[in-house]
Amino acid sequence: MSARIIIKSGGRASWAIRAAAAAAVVALLLWIPTRGSDSLIDTCTTAAMLMAAAMSLNLLLGYTGQISLGHSAFFGIGVYTTAIAVTRWGWSPFVTLPVAFAVAFVVGLLVSLPALRIKGVYLALVTLALGLVFPAFIKWPKIEWLTNGSRGLDQTGFKFSKDNPTYELFGWNPWGNLRGQNVKPFYFWVGVLMVVFVYLVCRGVVKSRVGRSLVAIRDNSTAAAVMGVNLAVTKGIVFGLSAAMCALPGSLSAIRTGTVTPDSALLTVAGSITFLVIMVVGGSGSLWGPVMGAIVYQFIIERTGDWSDPDKIPGAVRPLFSWSDVAPGGGIFAMALILLMFFAPFGIVGLWHKLVAKVVTVVPKPAGTTSLVREETAPAES
Amino acid sequence: MALFLQRLVDGLAEGSIYALLALGLVIIYRGTGHLNFAQGEMALFSTYTVYQFGEWGVPIGIAVLLGMCVGFVLGAATEVVLVRPISKKSPFAVFIVTIGMFQLLNWLDGAIWGGQQLPSTAMGSKQVKFPSLFPSNPDDYFTVFGAAITWRSFCILALVLVIGAVLYLLFNYTKLGLAMRAVASNSESAKLVGIRTSTVLMFSWGIAAAIGALGGVVFAGLTTNVNQSLMFQVFIYASAAATLGGFDSPGGAVVGGLSIGVIQNLAAGYADEWVGQEMKVGVAFLVILAVLLLRPSGLFGTSKVERV
Repeated sequence: MSARIIIKSGGRASWAIRAAAAAAVVALLLWIPTRGSDSLIDTCTTAAMLMAAAMSLNLLLGYTGQISLGHSAFFGIGVYTTAIAVTRWGWSPFVTLPVAFAVAFVVGLLVSLPALRIKGVYLALVTLALGLVFPAFIKWPKIEWLTNGSRGLDQTGFKFSKDNPTYELFGWNPWGNLRGQNVKPFYFWVGVLMVVFVYLVCRGVVKSRVGRSLVAIRDNSTAAAVMGVNLAVTKGIVFGLSAAMCALPGSLSAIRTGTVTPDSALLTVAGSITFLVIMVVGGSGSLWGPVMGAIVYQFIIERTGDWSDPDKIPGAVRPLFSWSDVAPGGGIFAMALILLMFFAPFGIVGLWHKLVAKVVTVVPKPAGTTSLVREETAPAES
Repeated sequence: MALFLQRLVDGLAEGSIYALLALGLVIIYRGTGHLNFAQGEMALFSTYTVYQFGEWGVPIGIAVLLGMCVGFVLGAATEVVLVRPISKKSPFAVFIVTIGMFQLLNWLDGAIWGGQQLPSTAMGSKQVKFPSLFPSNPDDYFTVFGAAITWRSFCILALVLVIGAVLYLLFNYTKLGLAMRAVASNSESAKLVGIRTSTVLMFSWGIAAAIGALGGVVFAGLTTNVNQSLMFQVFIYASAAATLGGFDSPGGAVVGGLSIGVIQNLAAGYADEWVGQEMKVGVAFLVILAVLLLRPSGLFGTSKVERV
């Protein structure tokens, strides 16, 4: 038996590791907007929006096992709530965020009503239809006066004026190059704030009584009901929350890009599948899964974006992809999805836990004091 | 009256295509209990191969048969290589794998055939439009009670009835059909009496994909082109048809498909302002929702009894 590192959960070493990880994350967050290139900041902002959307899906699918292929519709509700409020009623863009949250929450609650009766792949079917209906609904002649149909809406963004304040902290500007016309760091920080908010909500739900009842519902709903979990209320609220949190990145994307159309990729079923791919690749049923998934997804999509030109493909993988003049991102993730189901059903985070478990033994706190220990992280016999 | 009859027949023709894909869904569901989300994309891939055979100068009749063979191999291979090993893990894993196949095939279509609407002169197609199996000139119609009924609509409807009859004979009068019914009713017992369930399931997926391929080709002939998003809505209509008819009833799938086609065409025709071409998919959505809420087993399906 090789030497194993033994870490007591809640002990000094465990806290040191956590502090180091938190410091690394904060350092990275400060480094990107201040020292990173514009395109890196853009990539990270997009990744942050995908992260939030995938986290919201993860709350529903990873923890309650309710399959939704209709999250693009909730994303779209965010997009259109903001766009309509800004262009039709002249609201300030950021005021629309909580409104979009509320609207999507109500719609999510409504969708959860049939979801109480419909289970498994049938629910996937219903939500898939919902995802297909949403763009059609936006283009519906009857509500064209509001949504402007397939032409979409313009001028939905946040207008920066010259006298927007610059924020300096002890003579150092943590917002990056907000001065002048470069607003990218600003959106980066809004994106980060949004991800933190969504993460905290998910964490709050998952690590509470509600979260434990969710896992119970997923694993055996009859037993959960017998133990006194109110299935209808719990599922309804979580569905609503999930929808509402998916609307936030939608709202932000309308503010950030300034134009919206019903046929843009994330508003159609392709968007739902993107969220699903991110969630599964990162690791479903874990809080950090969607974070990892979104970063990997966005970087691979951008890296392979110009691989339609065979000369741009790096030598090692050129024979694999040079035969086609379409960027291989979609195909790579489709294959990743299939292969992951065979070899690592819990995604990147699941793989990481497996690797760590080979070297490190985490001794958990005595039973009853920890909240939720996933099977994967349970200590191996040493 | 003439207009009604015309809309009815057009609806039946469109519904026939949904019925073909729905039949595929039902055959797979009966065998393995999985909903194949890649059904539409499998059909689309086969449709692209039919286009490719057409480019090579193969006459349409033979090209369709070859395309169905491609579909059969694709479906059977998916079952053997992906679905069978993964179904031991969890139904959720199967769902993810079918979604993965959905995306993989859709990407592959674009990667091989250039991600544009085909045939297109810009892409160097020899064909002007996607070949139709049936006469499709503007003057190929006959008149019944004043309604102009195209031969194309008539032939498509006839085709699905023939396919339905062939499947009926296959299920009821052949050894393979008997084995398929045995596996559908109880796969454990079927295994015990010496039926090779794995071969049967492979055939089920193959037949389902081949029928879907036929549906794809007919639909592409109707729209005169093939593109990457051709099958998205058709798949939802087919699922609505299978839901309406009952997921384990082939006859129900045909009836469901025809009904969905008729309901949609009548709704789009008579409530033009409300439904129109855009909200046709809304009709399918409402049908799925209503059936699953009110009668989850569909019109002809057997209701599922679950042991708790």
